Amino acid sequence: MPIKRRQVLSGSAAGAVTLASGLASPAIAANEPIKIGFMPALTGPSSSTGVGINRGTILAVDEINAAGGIDGRKIELIVRDTQSDPTKAVNAVAELMQRQKVNIIWGPLNSGEALAATPLVARDKVPMIHPCWVDELIDVKKYPMSFRIAPTNTQVGGGANYYVVDVLKLKKVAVISDTTGYGTASVNTYVPMLKAKGAEVVYTNHVDAANPDLKPELLRMQSAGAQVIMPWSVNAGFLSRICNTRGAMGWDVPIVGQTTLGSGQTKALLEKPEYWNKVYSNNFRQVCYADGKLPPRAQEYVERLKKAKIEFGDTLLWWVALGWDGAKMMADTFKTAGTKADDVVAYMNKVKGWPGVYGTVTWTPEQHNGFPDSEVVMCEVNSLKDGAFNLAPGYSA
Amino acid sequence: MFASIVSYGLAVGAVYALIGITYNVMFSASRVFSFTAGMLGMLGGVLGALFIARMGLPVIVGLILVLVCGGVIGVVTEIVTVRPVLKSIEQHLYVLSTLAFALMVQQLAAIEWGTEAQPFPRLIPIEQGWLDQQFWLPMLACACTIAGLELLYRKTLIGRAFLAIAEDSYAARAIGLPETGLRLASFALAGMIGTLAGFTGAEMLLAYFGNQSILNFYGFVPVALGGMGSNRGAVVGGLALGLFQQAANFLVGGIFAAVAVFVVFIIVLLLRPEGLAGAAATRRV
Repeated sequence: MPIKRRQVLSGSAAGAVTLASGLASPAIAANEPIKIGFMPALTGPSSSTGVGINRGTILAVDEINAAGGIDGRKIELIVRDTQSDPTKAVNAVAELMQRQKVNIIWGPLNSGEALAATPLVARDKVPMIHPCWVDELIDVKKYPMSFRIAPTNTQVGGGANYYVVDVLKLKKVAVISDTTGYGTASVNTYVPMLKAKGAEVVYTNHVDAANPDLKPELLRMQSAGAQVIMPWSVNAGFLSRICNTRGAMGWDVPIVGQTTLGSGQTKALLEKPEYWNKVYSNNFRQVCYADGKLPPRAQEYVERLKKAKIEFGDTLLWWVALGWDGAKMMADTFKTAGTKADDVVAYMNKVKGWPGVYGTVTWTPEQHNGFPDSEVVMCEVNSLKDGAFNLAPGYSA
Repeated sequence: MFASIVSYGLAVGAVYALIGITYNVMFSASRVFSFTAGMLGMLGGVLGALFIARMGLPVIVGLILVLVCGGVIGVVTEIVTVRPVLKSIEQHLYVLSTLAFALMVQQLAAIEWGTEAQPFPRLIPIEQGWLDQQFWLPMLACACTIAGLELLYRKTLIGRAFLAIAEDSYAARAIGLPETGLRLASFALAGMIGTLAGFTGAEMLLAYFGNQSILNFYGFVPVALGGMGSNRGAVVGGLALGLFQQAANFLVGGIFAAVAVFVVFIIVLLLRPEGLAGAAATRRV
């Protein structure tokens, strides 16, 4: 999805308004605003996710403040655009903690930035919630104040493997990735998981994402007897070439993999729209249509947003819902536990079955990965409507 | 499988050959090995998609605009990165200046165009026949370019002046040839050839800023194989590279295909450092 300057500006403007309204509060200690340091990537290559999550976060904060804030204290969202750059994320997080003295850090929103910023947050002993997928970002010993409100990469791969082996009942799998760190690490992690589930991995390879012709690879998969292709890459060009080659070969096997399979960039590169049939990408049960209906929490949320005339045409429901959940989770925490860092962490360590729009969150002192395996699902990529997708065939509603 | 190796190999080989010729045209006029050839190829695809798909211009207007942009960028390359370092050519400073310029343009393309590959429009509205246009367009462009260059170099006075500069720039200047003007013209010509390569190959390679590094490297291989300055060598080397690469894709696949290409490249250079078609350089003593 292309990011328009206007969207970024409107996001920042809304942040500024929130900031201004927060600052306008009387400067009495009990009425001081509660500060959230928010680090979305609003510009740069990772910004489509950032802009969507930013929208949800601002909506939630505005709603909470309009309803009187938390025990009379407004929430002040201090937004720093990381520009999809880990260096800028590090500078931003230092400024938020040391100069702005924020009560909590929300973000960064992509793993590269989070890998750089998380150790600093742990050192300064500020609570942190983020939605990044890289497994190593959560470690209760190294980062005891960091909590994840989204699935891990292992859960994402596990969700895809579950769909292939347990739902589609396919046993012969071809796993392909590009040669990036993400691609090779994913294959190295997911192939043993597939084998442990009893699948036979008949083809596995890493291919340069810029290789214009993937027919040799798909022919090799076909002759090895593959019943499904599992590509791990965030490169739309690479993924669309797999779809196009499968279509041109007239080979009718499903493609099951990462969320980029269902992105607008991948769609734009398809030679024929029907090449997107039988392509299933990761998604999340709470924000997918089952039999044409969203689950009750998401349905109620979407209706509320529609009444407020907020559209999803240019973004995805799960991004906005994730931003919303992050802000609501922090607000619930401050309401119950106050703003002292230790109290915040003690409260979050006991969160159980917290009903978010994007997912149901449970944390314990030993486990700060809050997202349940059962809510990582696959969806039909060609079913996008109002920012959400249909569950892939085979799941029970 | 055989048909796929031949059609794909020759098509991608034609793009490599054209990038090789781009290197050669710049090298002949200046003795500078300008690493902007891959950048020109990348821009051919990106600018073509910008003019035709995004701005909705007719294909022929888009092509002309792409070639004009290529020519202008060629001239800018000569003025900004080549001319200042010519005096100390033995120090090979041009490696830095041309590479830095190419990387700068690539980053600019990434910021303005985006880092995702984007579609390139079908140039000729015809059905896919037994050989699709994405394959024969680069081959046609390569054939036309090599024929055009042969005509230019052998039949026209300005072409002979190019050759004279390439042969001995000092002697050419002594008999009154405008060396600077001819060098500018050859960089403009190289700009057009490079962008033509990217433009005709983009249905296959897509409009993608990352194509620059691949074209820079795989376009260099035919020059090294064919001998520096030899356009015929570049064509033979390019087509051979395309065919071999595609055959390796089928036979070994994945990253091993790239390894196979490098292995052959190194073996050829060890056996014949002057290139397959190049003559061994003699040094006056």
